[in-house]
Amino acid sequence: MQNIRKIMAILAGKLLIVLSRMAGNQGTNFPGRLALKIYPPLLKELGKNTYKDTFIITGTNGKTTTTNMIARIFRENGSSFIHNQAGANMLPGITTAFIQQTDFTGRKTFDYALLETDEANVPLLIAQIKPRLILITNFFRDQLDRYGELDTTIKLIKEAVQGTDIELLLNADDPLQVDFQNQKGLKYWYYGFDASNYDSFTGAESREGRYCVLCGHELEYTRYHYAQLGKYHCRHCNNQNPQPNFIAAELLMDPSIHLQIDKLLIESPYQGFYNAYNILAAVSLGKLAGIQEKVIQKAIANFQPSAGRMENFLIRGKKVILVLVKNPTGLNQSLAMLAQDSAAKNLFIALNDNAADGRDISWIWDADIEVITDDKARIRRVICSGQRSGDMAVRIKYSGFGIENIIIKPSLEEGIGIAISMESEVSYILCTYTTLFASRNILARMQKKYPAPLQEKERTPEKAL
Amino acid sequence: MEKFIIAHMYPALMNLYGDRGNLVCLKKRMEWYGLNCEIKSIHLDEKLDFSQIDMIFMGGGSDREQGLVYHDLLKKTDQLMAQIESGLPALCICGAYQLLGSYYKSHEGTVMDGLGFFPLYTEGREGRLIGNILIESEFNGQKVSVVGFENHGGRTYFSDPKLQSLGQVIIGHGNNGEDQSEGMRFKNLIGTYLHGPLLPKNPTLADFFVYAMADRKGLKLEKVLDDTIENLAHEQVRYKMISGQKS
Ligand SMILES: [Zn+2]
Repeated sequence: MQNIRKIMAILAGKLLIVLSRMAGNQGTNFPGRLALKIYPPLLKELGKNTYKDTFIITGTNGKTTTTNMIARIFRENGSSFIHNQAGANMLPGITTAFIQQTDFTGRKTFDYALLETDEANVPLLIAQIKPRLILITNFFRDQLDRYGELDTTIKLIKEAVQGTDIELLLNADDPLQVDFQNQKGLKYWYYGFDASNYDSFTGAESREGRYCVLCGHELEYTRYHYAQLGKYHCRHCNNQNPQPNFIAAELLMDPSIHLQIDKLLIESPYQGFYNAYNILAAVSLGKLAGIQEKVIQKAIANFQPSAGRMENFLIRGKKVILVLVKNPTGLNQSLAMLAQDSAAKNLFIALNDNAADGRDISWIWDADIEVITDDKARIRRVICSGQRSGDMAVRIKYSGFGIENIIIKPSLEEGIGIAISMESEVSYILCTYTTLFASRNILARMQKKYPAPLQEKERTPEKAL
Repeated sequence: MEKFIIAHMYPALMNLYGDRGNLVCLKKRMEWYGLNCEIKSIHLDEKLDFSQIDMIFMGGGSDREQGLVYHDLLKKTDQLMAQIESGLPALCICGAYQLLGSYYKSHEGTVMDGLGFFPLYTEGREGRLIGNILIESEFNGQKVSVVGFENHGGRTYFSDPKLQSLGQVIIGHGNNGEDQSEGMRFKNLIGTYLHGPLLPKNPTLADFFVYAMADRKGLKLEKVLDDTIENLAHEQVRYKMISGQKS
């Protein structure tokens, strides 16, 4: 009888996946939710079908990219694995992933399960499926967490792994993760960065994790890799970075990433320090899973950035890079990335305040926009666009960027047009959620229409604007 | 050059998103006026001589954090209130504003004492008051519009009707969503629910503090700043609210 319910649940789930696909939906959560209603232990049982290991990937930022990189490593290795899609990282979505890939009896086995989930969801997931290891990318307090929810979440994760043999793969440079090492009876692995040429020595003003989680005093940093990730110590209680098991060194971003992880040379088409962390995390996990170094190297080298997160266009012979920014951390990452690109550039930022963007645009003041004033960033013009272009322009002005080089154009079309037509080697187009798709369409259209470089006489005279 | 010190009270505890914008704004504007300004973070248990600073800024926090701050401030109340009486500029937002009153009663019924500086009290209710807000205020005899964003569960009421509000709500909720009042004013202190970057988009309000600080040091500000971008941002959100209300 139990068995029949299970098969019914799987069949219903599979059917719903097909139907919602036909209806044009991704069909990621609903099938799993219904199947769990029909047969509640479904996830628990399907979760046992991994032949080797189950890995959970969590953290505030970078978990989707990191999980996709690991998936690429497993694919390159010829391993079979279950992998839930981004946006389906709660229990129903994960159940859907298992239903989709299992057979009708629910007995098909896989080498690995690669489960990406939100921090808050980790305890619930562990109650269903016991992983070999949990990888944590980083803990950032973003704008939804000004009421201490992150502290609660960290505590819940600690309690969930307490007294189990679940391994943890942690970021040694993140002061918010240090607390885990005080937990007795757990197996820890740490990954971290060696000193790099891209480090800064003065702290950005954003308040992420600048206080010691053990005693509450302000941390002292000898260097910052990015945001609160860096080499820190607490004068009050001697809390400092744990010694990493996996160390990334010789970082070079030109602007794509090259680095060495314990002598293994890694190259990736990705850009930005935050992606270097994603690579380090993925490679560390690959090594712990016992995958050969050559396979890991090849997988990372061939793994391309996915659409929307960072997309390149070529318009009038000029490189145009489209990036989605959703919160201060994302904006900091994007700005840090473009500051490392040595080309002269125009920066276009579109800010909307629709529900999907967040009605409250205060977060732009928590981002360290000040990096754009660095001469080395070589930013020529900043074009502010979208429904709240004024607010963005005010933010840019108070970063210290010269007002003569700030342009306000609420219309995306006009703003992008200016960003691309004016003198610069490259244009960065930063968009909040509801400006992303319209901006991408504009760029795609321009790419088609103006493939060739602009003739000298066609250039918009700068002073005319 | 005269040096100004703005005390950022309890940044680790009382710091809602965007609060930093107000400090960045004050510091920059003072630089543009040719004044030297330092932002000094004040943490729990830290000694502070209020007579040695030029302004205090305090943001909001969670109930737990507000409790910690309350106990720390309690030790400093006499000196602080004396300075406020003598015109110390102060900007208190959300939780910090609520702390100025006699109490905060949560939605569940727990009562937290306030500092009792002003005759106002706050009661938490179900449903937060969230959104862009437009109010009309008066500075130097001029009516000015103030725009911002509010997000609060507490409803604040004046127990003495003579207490002055910051302004009248045109669009939005304000103190309690009932009586059209928003925030409070006393000499150079402003308490308000308008969080985040209140000052950058409301240069009149920012300059109210800058002038008050300069005035207390006997300085006259001659320069006029170019606020084209600030005013444009102000008008953009004001227009958005007004046209949104019509539709
Ligand atoms: Zn400490």
